[in-house]
Amino acid sequence: MDLSLTDQQEMVKQAVDDFVSRDASIETLIELQQTERGFSDDMWRTAGELGWLGMLIPEEYGGSNTGYTDAGVLFEALGKGPVPGPFFSTVLAGEIIKELGDDAQKENYLTRIANGSLIATLAMSEPDYQWGIAGVQLIPTEDGEDYILNGEKSFVYDGHAADLIITAVRTGSGDDDISLLLVDTSTPGVSTRKLEGFTSSESSVTFENARIPKSALLGECCAITDGLHAALMRATPLLCAYQVGGAQAVFDLSVQYSRDRVQFGRPIGRFQFVQNHIVQLVIHLDSARWTTYEALWKMDTGRETEAAIHLAKAVTSDGYRQACNYGHEVHAGTGVVREYGLTLYTRQSRSLFHALGEPRYHRKQLAKLMPTLQLDDE
Amino acid sequence: MDFAPSYTPEQESFREEVRSWLDDHAPVIAGDQDSPENYAKFRQLGRDLGQQGWLRPTAPVEYGGGGMGFEETVVLYEEMSRRDLSIPPYYDSGGWLGGASILVWGSDEQKQSLLPPIFKGDVVTWQLLTGPEAGSDLAGTQTDAVRDGDDYIVNGEKIYVGGSNGVDVLWTLTRTDPDGERHKNLSWFMIPADLPGITIRPMDLLGDGGEGVGSGVKNTVYFDNVRVPAERLVGGENNGWQVATTHLELEHGAGGSVARNLWFSRALDWARERQLNGRPLVENSDAQDRLVEIYEKTEIQRLFGIRNFWMNRTHQAMTYEGPQSSYFRKLSGLDITTALHELFGPYALTNDENTDFSEGALDSYQRSAIVSLHPGGTADVQKVLMARRIGMGRSEAERYKAGKTVE
Repeated sequence: MDLSLTDQQEMVKQAVDDFVSRDASIETLIELQQTERGFSDDMWRTAGELGWLGMLIPEEYGGSNTGYTDAGVLFEALGKGPVPGPFFSTVLAGEIIKELGDDAQKENYLTRIANGSLIATLAMSEPDYQWGIAGVQLIPTEDGEDYILNGEKSFVYDGHAADLIITAVRTGSGDDDISLLLVDTSTPGVSTRKLEGFTSSESSVTFENARIPKSALLGECCAITDGLHAALMRATPLLCAYQVGGAQAVFDLSVQYSRDRVQFGRPIGRFQFVQNHIVQLVIHLDSARWTTYEALWKMDTGRETEAAIHLAKAVTSDGYRQACNYGHEVHAGTGVVREYGLTLYTRQSRSLFHALGEPRYHRKQLAKLMPTLQLDDE
Repeated sequence: MDFAPSYTPEQESFREEVRSWLDDHAPVIAGDQDSPENYAKFRQLGRDLGQQGWLRPTAPVEYGGGGMGFEETVVLYEEMSRRDLSIPPYYDSGGWLGGASILVWGSDEQKQSLLPPIFKGDVVTWQLLTGPEAGSDLAGTQTDAVRDGDDYIVNGEKIYVGGSNGVDVLWTLTRTDPDGERHKNLSWFMIPADLPGITIRPMDLLGDGGEGVGSGVKNTVYFDNVRVPAERLVGGENNGWQVATTHLELEHGAGGSVARNLWFSRALDWARERQLNGRPLVENSDAQDRLVEIYEKTEIQRLFGIRNFWMNRTHQAMTYEGPQSSYFRKLSGLDITTALHELFGPYALTNDENTDFSEGALDSYQRSAIVSLHPGGTADVQKVLMARRIGMGRSEAERYKAGKTVE
């Protein structure tokens, strides 16, 4: 038993923290939020150079393949920034290609993901929104060696910035008959539009007679649901780690504010109602942290992970959202002044709440495991 | 990171040693855990463990402990819990907490005389903290100890004490300077339970007061001109609050635990056994949702316990983690009783022998989760401690002070 970070993990954490304090100040992040892309190409390049995008990619494709906990530490530190950008989307795409791609596809895409020259994402959900493959209704038509796509994918994270969109389409009548297409966003007929509003980086992707070669199929036609599920599950705790980092930052901000803000002649942290907000906040933070890291540890050590991952996502997405709510109770008016920075986190706590499935979805998956669940020590 | 204990070959061979020792020494328990016959068996196991140094595995060998390291202790706890046994195998949190304080604050003579009987399992010790006038405000006790020659004369009353199976030693916090400054007017005594003037009377309470055998009953202890030898004063006169700080910290959950809350696996087993409309209850979607609620709470309890266990045993700096774990356990306990109530309906509230399928466990837990809100400090006290340890609203200088003492 050892819950400390390894030296290697401490180094990763330090490198991201240094990067954030140097290049990603609150002012910079607020400016970036107003831009069309929402993140900085310089930051993205730096991440590629430092090897952050290749931590889960095999060495033969230029990655370092260091393990999920190491990558979790990276994502926590990014989330603490909060550093915006298509980090998670691209790593998720890498996991899917790693799981389902043939050698040529892996060589082509994984190498470029590892060195930071390819931004990629997954497009599953559609205007009739529901998370999971049941929500995939886009049906391609066949034309010789090509598929023709007409329709829309909604709520695609980082779709507006992506070079490659792994697009889920329905290719048969069975529930599981879906396929994945590797769609280059420069393909004629493919257009993306970043969604306006409280969401942080979601896009709509429209296909108008977009011609996609059948060679762009990822994996066997109609036999990819197990592989897709495995890749999604493996990536989920990394998204959780990003949320843990955000909740940690909200906790740190709230504690500091409880010391600095004076009302009625005393720091507000001396009032027990204010204390209660931070007490609840840190319970959500630590619940998120330890469910997430236990799931990562189970992945790295080849243990049964299904329940741990669903638990982590449910607890963490709820936890980040609640952490921000309590942070706003502590900060009151100050918290909603954009330049203070709290809302950078709040916005992500909302936008990531439903990413890869909202908490209720994951609790439902856990519920379905109940008839057969085995406890670890039995 | 490693959430599971890792074992060296030495530890694995220690595990074999523990297993075969327990095969020979673990008692066969049938019927009411709390019966005098079973209690005697648990006490004997305690003495046998004490001979091995396993009753207090991490305490120094010279005082009767085992002098064991972190990973070996984990093996011992695991093997005990595999057999549904705890260390100690009976209610002795007074010995556990008091022993820790004496190790820190006792004189050499006191350590030599007071600790071995505790660590060897020869005595059972109760803690006496709460008084009718002093609950969360422990330092406001009105139990007085007045020096008279080589003795102190103790008068007062303490409540919510001990269990049903008798006691040898009582420790308590008394006021030795009624006009003195708060926190600097208290003294901490180890008192033989058979001194003249001590009366112990059971209280009439809602239900089970905590974990461990013999904890179902709580008592009022009356001190009527009890003459306590001055050598039983630990930590010096008017230094009792410092002594108490040591055990209060442990009681606030800082010790951690590697044990799982059993309520999830119990609920799951019953949900698989019981039927609804001719199908196992566990296949019902609403039942599954309730099980998920219990799973979530107990998993988080377990993770907080593991974190604290690791931090405590590897001497990491701890601040709010103990009271956090304690607070979460108390409040999520109530949530779990609600989920169980929804899962099993009115069965949750009866121990009627012809109706209840849980051998009294469900009914008992509906009560004990409520009772558990106060021992070791109320849920609100845990939040106050967390706020202080986190340093909410406190300058750096104040935080340093808050980290040194628990008010």
